[in-house]
Amino acid sequence: MTEDFNDQEEKDVFLRAYSSMILSRMFDKKIVSAQRQGRVGFYTPTIGQEATQVGVSMALKKGDLVYEYYRDVPFMIHRGVPIEILLDQIMGNGEDSAKGRQMPSHYNAKEYNFMSVQSPVAANLPLAVGAAYAIKLRKEDKVVVTTFGDGSTSTPDFHAAMNLASVFNLPIIFLCENNQWAISLPVEKQTKVEIWKKAEAYGAHGVKVDGNDFLETFKVAKEAVERARSGKGPVLIEAVSYRIGPHSTSDDPSKYRSEGITEGSEKDPIVIAEKRLKELDYITDEVIDKMKSEAKRIVDEKFDEREKIPPPKPETMFDDVYKEMTWIIKEEKGEVL
Amino acid sequence: MTSRQLNMVQAINSTLDFALSKNDSVVLLGEDIGRDGGVFRVTEGLQAKYGAERVIDMPLVELGIVGMAIGMALNGLKPIPEIQFQDFIFTAFDQLVNQAAKLRYRSGGQYNVPMILRTPYGGGIKGGLYHSQSGEAYFAHTAGLTVISPSNAYDAKGLLISSLEYEDPIIFLEPKKLYRAAKMEVPDEEYKIPIGKASIVREGDDLTIITYGSMVPLVNSAVEKNKVNAEIIDLRTIMPYDGEAILQSVKKTGRAMIVHEAPRTLGMGSEISAFLAERAIDYLMAPILRVTGPDTPFPYRLEDYYMPNERKIMKAVGKLMEFR
Repeated sequence: MTEDFNDQEEKDVFLRAYSSMILSRMFDKKIVSAQRQGRVGFYTPTIGQEATQVGVSMALKKGDLVYEYYRDVPFMIHRGVPIEILLDQIMGNGEDSAKGRQMPSHYNAKEYNFMSVQSPVAANLPLAVGAAYAIKLRKEDKVVVTTFGDGSTSTPDFHAAMNLASVFNLPIIFLCENNQWAISLPVEKQTKVEIWKKAEAYGAHGVKVDGNDFLETFKVAKEAVERARSGKGPVLIEAVSYRIGPHSTSDDPSKYRSEGITEGSEKDPIVIAEKRLKELDYITDEVIDKMKSEAKRIVDEKFDEREKIPPPKPETMFDDVYKEMTWIIKEEKGEVL
Repeated sequence: MTSRQLNMVQAINSTLDFALSKNDSVVLLGEDIGRDGGVFRVTEGLQAKYGAERVIDMPLVELGIVGMAIGMALNGLKPIPEIQFQDFIFTAFDQLVNQAAKLRYRSGGQYNVPMILRTPYGGGIKGGLYHSQSGEAYFAHTAGLTVISPSNAYDAKGLLISSLEYEDPIIFLEPKKLYRAAKMEVPDEEYKIPIGKASIVREGDDLTIITYGSMVPLVNSAVEKNKVNAEIIDLRTIMPYDGEAILQSVKKTGRAMIVHEAPRTLGMGSEISAFLAERAIDYLMAPILRVTGPDTPFPYRLEDYYMPNERKIMKAVGKLMEFR
């Protein structure tokens, strides 16, 4: 399939990617169902975007930086973020590194080179450009990937970031995870131009890929990363997939769209991955079933384990506003507690 | 110890020069700050000395300047972005309020944003609606931001040096009316003025005038000229403001007024009034007064009517002293 690996290496790499996709899918299903049971407050499902994220993740090196958005669970899982970190954040429990301050789906994993996630879309993009500038200034061998949805391409932040990255010729990949829906607005009403084509207007390189196919995405991402790493400037990847789930657990898509790609149908990224891996003789139905039940077991087990962790202590609310707590916040803390 | 007669522009310029020479991580970015040296000449000569990669002429996009600076700060640099006029900062407001100010909190301290955003603010230069605003209250109202405004060249240098070591985002508001208004002795060596500490510009017994930025010399000259026995407090740091210094002075004088050029309603004067009402009511002999800009946009031809002046200040002083 590629010249990067010998056969055994390739098999291992592809199976690991598939394994991340499966774990993400099981994770997603678990959190959505836990939300329905009242055990989780909110969640932005990832279902349908596994191949996009894992495919791009496969092309990165350990030291590369990711400025992700709130739907990037598969990306994080494939880069080695333990699901405990994700679960603790979603539950906002006392072990959550951000002490339960953010709504679910706003992850933090600095140790794994992921930025902290904000809600306003595309606001991470200019930050990623600044990170890429720092890398270039220090002549470090790193690239930055920043991710966002199709709706984000309408924002001034997207425009500013694309322009600045191109003007300064920075080592950065803009990964547009085009899942075709920004809550209720379909992509054809979001923009009149195909997203990848916008790159040209900035002097960046643009490319479109089938984001439901992890191998196609990997191939395109690898070229993009090599290009950025070798000093040829930014790349905009439009990875087209489909948001199989709702925008969030608070949203009912039946109000504004008829069903598109459904779970288990032939365009489901997991179904495509299985087909590809079977063609390569890397996997059998028996192994698939085993991997799925193992992933489900891990997710169930970890969920129950993390659910037992008590919430953060009330006094932690006042920490981390500033490095040194101001006298004003000290007084307010005294009044509240 | 050597020193030089410098105005505020020169003091800030020499401090930025010092910062760039001392620390490779320091970068400056903003519109027209490099080749042109900045529209107020604050960064004059620095690009020639340190290169275009560290003194960066930015495309015309404030949210990009601030956003990029945050990304730099998150990755080990010490960015000092400049917004050409504070009036233009609002397209970058989301980056300031939702990113810079919240990153430490939302990451549980994993990330922080050691950035010094410099921007000229305030009226008095015939700048009209969009080159005169005093937006300090917007920033002071945002948890996570630290807001500083020097009122003279000496303080500008000392506050900027303290800001270089500060690990959270700072909005460094430079009163543009004072940029070249006066020269004073500024030591060549490094010295710091602590963030969060006000200065007692003038001691007095009859009333306390709390002010900052461009209003400090105005209040001072009004008080001197009219021989008022007033204590003048220059906040220097607007947020977190020095409550202790304010309280101590007002307990002594029993009368308080606040002077700023920003609009009155929900300005810093409102906050300080509430602060005093909550804890100094037993000491107050008169209502707390505010001398401020009115709640209108900043008018071009009528700017002299808009800005606080000696007459408005003395009228309030009279009212405070006569109150029984």
